[in-house]
Amino acid sequence: MSSDAEPNRRRRRAETPAEQTFADLMNGFSLDSGRKKPRASSAPEPAPREAPAVPRTEIPAFDLGPAEPADSSIVRAYAWTGGRTRSSIHLEIETLVSANDQSRRSAGILQSEHQRVVELCRSPRSVAEVAALMRLPLGVVKVLLGDMAERGLVDVHQTASAGGDTPDLGLMERVLSGLRRL
Amino acid sequence: MDYVGSRFPEFGPPGPPGRELTSAKIVVAGGFGVGKSTFIRTIVENDLLTMTAMAPERAGLVTELVRIQFGRVWLDPGLALHLFVAPQWQDPRAGWSDVVRGAVGAVVLFDVMRPADSVDAMRYFEDHKIPYVLALNNVHDSVRSDVKAIIRGMGIAPEVPVVNCDPRVRVSVRETLISLTEHAKLDRWRRRPGPDETTPLAPVC
Repeated sequence: MSSDAEPNRRRRRAETPAEQTFADLMNGFSLDSGRKKPRASSAPEPAPREAPAVPRTEIPAFDLGPAEPADSSIVRAYAWTGGRTRSSIHLEIETLVSANDQSRRSAGILQSEHQRVVELCRSPRSVAEVAALMRLPLGVVKVLLGDMAERGLVDVHQTASAGGDTPDLGLMERVLSGLRRL
Repeated sequence: MDYVGSRFPEFGPPGPPGRELTSAKIVVAGGFGVGKSTFIRTIVENDLLTMTAMAPERAGLVTELVRIQFGRVWLDPGLALHLFVAPQWQDPRAGWSDVVRGAVGAVVLFDVMRPADSVDAMRYFEDHKIPYVLALNNVHDSVRSDVKAIIRGMGIAPEVPVVNCDPRVRVSVRETLISLTEHAKLDRWRRRPGPDETTPLAPVC
């Protein structure tokens, strides 16, 4: 996933100028993707890598260390959500979601990430599982699933503990008898 | 609810479509290396999944990631129990509140050689009125009662169960989870008449 992330990020930046600010912000913290451009425009030397003895004059004094490989995929993931970090539908990490008839019918015409969710959720999966299996941050998955639930592409099975409450006694009783059978 | 005696696939499809599905979660906390992942792996009989949560942006630190391990087991065809390893960093911004909000309760694994490691978690659960059990990690029979007496002397609430647990043994893990759920049920029952006293935690990203 991280191997093809770099060209994707570049392409996305070119396509959508609205995302440039966020992407540029992220690049500011990565190794030197943002610094190459000014140098290339001022002095177009053919092989900049062959002169390691030259001091890196244009690099600022602070250095935040090497970029993690996850950075680029996070940028892409937040581009999917349009930069939003909240969803209108309440989802806990253990809330189960499952694909429904509508998502099965529209299998061929969905966005690729929605398609992946639908495939994952053929058997019910929790928000946490979708996040883990798609290797996306939790916040992104919540927005993604919230969008899909609003469009009727997945069914959300609310937990009895939704809303910051403690689980109700019936659920606890059910957990207890389930544990005893394990 | 009459599924007694039948055996359900651990990660299999949970019954016919259209059936009402729900889920519950239990948090497993404790110091580093005390056996939290082993505890969960023993009961779910599967490798744990890892989810990442990202702390909201602040002052340029946009790429802080918190990794949260968890496992899932179907308790009956409509009920999925999730067991989450509590992140070490008890920061509500970093996935912690996502993990504890709405949980049945928490198991605090306790290593007698390093008691301080588990105290933060215990204090947190007491402060937030989240029911928990203290699971002593495999204390030998001969000293178990002494250890329990010392722990009681540390001033934890008298109703909190203190049990012995070997995270590698399925029966032991199961018993620990049962005693937690029973304690949580009682706790819930006790606090039923009044308004809910749990502190609402802010949602994360």
